[in-house]
Amino acid sequence: MHHRNSIALFVIAALAAATAATASARVETTHTTTITFWDAYSSDGPEVQKLEKVIIPGFEKTHPGIQVKDVTIPYDSLHQKLVTAVAGGQLPDLVRSDIIWVPELANLGVLQPLDKAMPDFGKWKARVFPGPLATNYWKGHYYGLPLDTNTRIYVYNPAALEAIGASSPPKTFAQLSSMSAQAKAKGYYLYAESGTSCWNVCPWIWSNGGAITNKTYTKATGYLNGPKSVAAVQMLVNLYKAGQMPSIVVDSNAGVGTYDGINQDKYVSMLDGPWSFAIFGAAFPKVHLAGSQIPAGPGGSKSVVGGEDIVLTKASKNKAAALQFLRFMLGYGSQAQMALAGQMPVLKTSAKWLTRVHPYYSTYLKQIGTAQPRTPTPKWPQIDQVFVTQIAKAFQGSETVGQALTEAAHQIDGFLK
Amino acid sequence: MHKRKEQLAPYLFLAPGFLLFTLVMLYPIVRAFQISLYQWAIVPGTASKYLGLHNYLRALHDPIFWRGLENTGFYMAVTVPAQIVLGMLVAVLLDGKMPARAAYRTLYYLPVVTSWVVASLLFRYLFIGQGGLVNSVLHTNLNWLGQRWTAMLVISILGIWKGIGWSMVIFLAALQGVPRELHEAAAVDGAGAWRRFRAISLPAIKPVVVFVAILLVIGGFNVFISVFLITNGGPLDETQVLLTYMYRQAFSFLDFGYGSAISFMLTLIVFTLSLVQLRVFRRPAGTA
Repeated sequence: MHHRNSIALFVIAALAAATAATASARVETTHTTTITFWDAYSSDGPEVQKLEKVIIPGFEKTHPGIQVKDVTIPYDSLHQKLVTAVAGGQLPDLVRSDIIWVPELANLGVLQPLDKAMPDFGKWKARVFPGPLATNYWKGHYYGLPLDTNTRIYVYNPAALEAIGASSPPKTFAQLSSMSAQAKAKGYYLYAESGTSCWNVCPWIWSNGGAITNKTYTKATGYLNGPKSVAAVQMLVNLYKAGQMPSIVVDSNAGVGTYDGINQDKYVSMLDGPWSFAIFGAAFPKVHLAGSQIPAGPGGSKSVVGGEDIVLTKASKNKAAALQFLRFMLGYGSQAQMALAGQMPVLKTSAKWLTRVHPYYSTYLKQIGTAQPRTPTPKWPQIDQVFVTQIAKAFQGSETVGQALTEAAHQIDGFLK
Repeated sequence: MHKRKEQLAPYLFLAPGFLLFTLVMLYPIVRAFQISLYQWAIVPGTASKYLGLHNYLRALHDPIFWRGLENTGFYMAVTVPAQIVLGMLVAVLLDGKMPARAAYRTLYYLPVVTSWVVASLLFRYLFIGQGGLVNSVLHTNLNWLGQRWTAMLVISILGIWKGIGWSMVIFLAALQGVPRELHEAAAVDGAGAWRRFRAISLPAIKPVVVFVAILLVIGGFNVFISVFLITNGGPLDETQVLLTYMYRQAFSFLDFGYGSAISFMLTLIVFTLSLVQLRVFRRPAGTA
């Protein structure tokens, strides 16, 4: 552990030095400009600490005259807060937005297209991974730059895996099913899932070779209710009906959450992002998580792309200063600091050093290579609610999986028009 | 001239309160009604599409709206009588002479000043399915919050627990205004405690009971925080109440037109119910 930390620190120090050297176009002002930055960095892990104790002080030191006021909002409230701020004309200068909200905000016309606002946009565009970059694209313009990226991998507790008598995590759908039965016999749930949104179930649909919509995102019927999509959800429903999957998948109040369940030695595994390692390290240091690729189906091992973009609002009165901070957040130093806190960087060069920060990143880097995006549309919140409701019906048994997904596809078609 | 001044005086006294009422009540209500007639564009300065009464018709054909109305009605029907009866019971008990009376009054009032957020989250953890305290104590394995009526019951229990103290304080104040001599005279005539309560205390404080009932009905229809935090309307929208459903339409789906239509309908329902209550209870005693 110490050895790993010292390598990480060395990497960070080197990168921070590089950032300082490349920091360009400092704003020369005598008065202080304050810019506001809204984010949903987690205070359960080290993310907020990194932002407030390391990154912002570092920025303010190298950019005299600019102060950054960060407002950390719980993830579940950030969307509502943004909506209220849009209606009230009270948006901050910069927002760290979930990638799935960017089309919605862009469509509302409250974001500044960065390809117009940043003379050096092309340079930054070339520096970041193309997948996360694409989540900023809406109707001909880039409305933001990626800030961090992530995906879900199969995260498990090796001690619990050993307790159910398994030597390695499941690599295929078939192994997932057989090992789930094996876990039940030992009083464990092999795999706990905390909901039925796309984030939760789409990895299984894609890994089985299914799809949500056609390639141009205009139709869900024939895709979400296609035989491969139905079979993937059916596999999960079968696990649930056999009592091999905890009921928190349908109802978060039915039992303990995934983190608590793993900590309490009830669940063996979950699908989750890199922050889970950082949060367990801080909250449940006795559990040493490990990660592997999502069990593969006929379509391979395909996860879901997550992450955040950083966007500049049209309402910002200090766009030049805000863009300075935006660039700083994409600099090597900030990206590496956040990597230490469990946020995967978006810089192409990070592939070279990321696994030295934390070994588990190698599994994430591999998984993200085949990960799929959720449908980019301003109506995504409505579509995701269809997932939540319809797939829960299939789990509860009030509709068959086929019926539930056919109705879901029909409703989603309406939102894609 | 002098007379004119006198006539003006009451309005001057009313003006600050009325201004405040206009600003924080009347204006939002009118504005909500306006928004409810449009497919509302939330960005200031952009054009909204006029829909007429479409959002209202949509609500009438929306099964989740009706379920929300039922659930809201259930909450109101359970919590209002319980808060009145239990609040009255506690008030009568604490009106008598007893040791540590002030301490008990404080204890019963404590839930009222407890944060809704804290109490809701605590109730959620108490009633959680696997690993919840209630199941553990009762040796049951009930998914309290996963089924419509048990979940609504838990939410109602929270409402009652949190509300008893408030009705108690108001009843207590009213009871203390009932002349002691009447009680003493009735006792001399041989009336028992229950008889004295029914024949003396209750008629004397009836206007207060009506007042409490009306406010509790209004409060019951406005149930939001507890549902939002405990079930958030789930699973499968089974525990949606009108305000959580309105909130989702407006703040998750940006459909402020539909959300406003739902909240405006709620306003109409509450307004009508309050009027009916006032009418019914205003009848002179003995004619009901």
